[in-house]
Amino acid sequence: MSNKRQVALLALLGAGAALAQDVPIEGRVNINLGKDSPVALVSMSTGDSHSSSRGAALVLDLHMSLTLRNTGAGRIHGVALRVVSQEVTVGGKGSVSIPSLNVGPGEAFPVRIDMQLMRPTQVAGGPLVDVNLDGVLFQDLSCYGPDRLNSCRTMTAWDLEAQRDREHFKHILAQAGPKGLQQAMIESISRQSARPQLDVRVLRAPAVASAALGPVRTEQFAFLEFPDSPLQPVDGWAQIAGNEARAPRIQVRNRSAQSIKYVELGWLVRDPNGQQYLAASLPASDPALYLPAGKTARVEQETALRFSRGGQPVNIQGAVGFVSRVQFADGKLWVPSRADLDLGSLAKVLPASAEEQRLDDLYLKRGLEALVQELKKY
Amino acid sequence: MKHPNQATLALQAGGDLGPLGRWRTQRHLARCAECRDEIARFEQLRQDLPLLAESPEVHWNRLAAEMKANIRLGLAAGECVRADERAGAGPMWSTARVGVALASVAVLLATGVVLERPGPTAARETGVVVQATADGVQVREGGQALGLMHSGTSREAVTYQVGAQGSVEARYVDSETGYVTVNKVDVE
Repeated sequence: MSNKRQVALLALLGAGAALAQDVPIEGRVNINLGKDSPVALVSMSTGDSHSSSRGAALVLDLHMSLTLRNTGAGRIHGVALRVVSQEVTVGGKGSVSIPSLNVGPGEAFPVRIDMQLMRPTQVAGGPLVDVNLDGVLFQDLSCYGPDRLNSCRTMTAWDLEAQRDREHFKHILAQAGPKGLQQAMIESISRQSARPQLDVRVLRAPAVASAALGPVRTEQFAFLEFPDSPLQPVDGWAQIAGNEARAPRIQVRNRSAQSIKYVELGWLVRDPNGQQYLAASLPASDPALYLPAGKTARVEQETALRFSRGGQPVNIQGAVGFVSRVQFADGKLWVPSRADLDLGSLAKVLPASAEEQRLDDLYLKRGLEALVQELKKY
Repeated sequence: MKHPNQATLALQAGGDLGPLGRWRTQRHLARCAECRDEIARFEQLRQDLPLLAESPEVHWNRLAAEMKANIRLGLAAGECVRADERAGAGPMWSTARVGVALASVAVLLATGVVLERPGPTAARETGVVVQATADGVQVREGGQALGLMHSGTSREAVTYQVGAQGSVEARYVDSETGYVTVNKVDVE
């Protein structure tokens, strides 16, 4: 490289560094846990938070470490925090949840929040980020919090899945001993690492129709039916064009004896080689859904999903639906059983539950004996 | 040897020259390989055009008709003024005029192709986009974005789940805390 070019490059780097400005984080993060919250903030660190320029945009990297203490009387099984930046109002919000907790009264636990905010202009004064407690789930499945993100329902479903999966592995331990449990963990880890995944982008506003996507066709849903599901998918379809699927609609019937107030389906897609992938979850769009016994309702969304792998579009060939979560009017939840998930090789396509992921990690990092001891705690 | 100009050759290739012009051009072509090649290129181009015209979104036939009409109008107008200009205007001016006409036709042709050809344009993404990135999940609109990152955890160790209502979550075991952590971004 010539001297002139070196000088020019150094000048460019210098200009970039000059554009990058330190944004004082202290005092600009609001933590709001609520007045009668069962958790209290013990400490907070904003560590190596910094800002940098990326093209014409200003990028803020916020690294927050919180330590919370259980100040209530019950064991905490999950915490959800709502994270919002008034500076970046892109019509979105974030949340950081810690499921699979088992924190007793008086015990403290860490929560890490790593955020990145990007905006085209300088940062104004005022709070950069608001972190609000959205929900705390206790061992008895009672829940505290404003629940603006429906965190209580989500954490309850996670806890039911955790109970289901712990029971599964405890049963294996009881039936086949540590060797059997070890084999089950190896199979679980192998299944997760072999699970096919697609990159999916969700577009809220309708995308501009493009000749590149090809003709639009209506694809009928096929359904996997679980015998114990309170909900039966009846009929459904989605608009498919190339690697884009949009506007899914599924008719469901309540075949239980109780009224239902929330339903969520799983949506699988197939590529031209016949490989199945989990595309998305498909929750009911109506927040005021009320589905009495024997009645039908439609689950639908107006978004568009674009599928790719390794940066290349993946064309979609088929759609399969199954019921993944149901909440009854009394607040109780239904999630599929392990036997349900073994139907139609679903287990090969679906991700492990948060609890199974935790147990896999425990086995990998601390070994079989630590896993056995962990299962004995419950 | 004086060669016919490009316009004459183009008209000859399309059979659009008058009887006298056609006879004169054919006489020249009989002894000029260079102009025969030029004619062949024009003919090939004309053979290719109908293929493009098969697309219902390209109004090639209308475009071709308009071009022909424009060329004829230009030639006719040139003939009208030629009588008055003949004394002062030499062959160079005539060649320049044809050159300008051809350049105009070329611009018209290129504009038509650009405006009406149904090329494989990439699908544009407007509005709010929710997606997984290299090290997190992000909701983005234009030049603004809000992301939750899974710092210190490789992408392979993260489980991503998309919600068709407009959400994406990343679930991973935090290397520092040891807890399963679920980062989620949602469209409001």
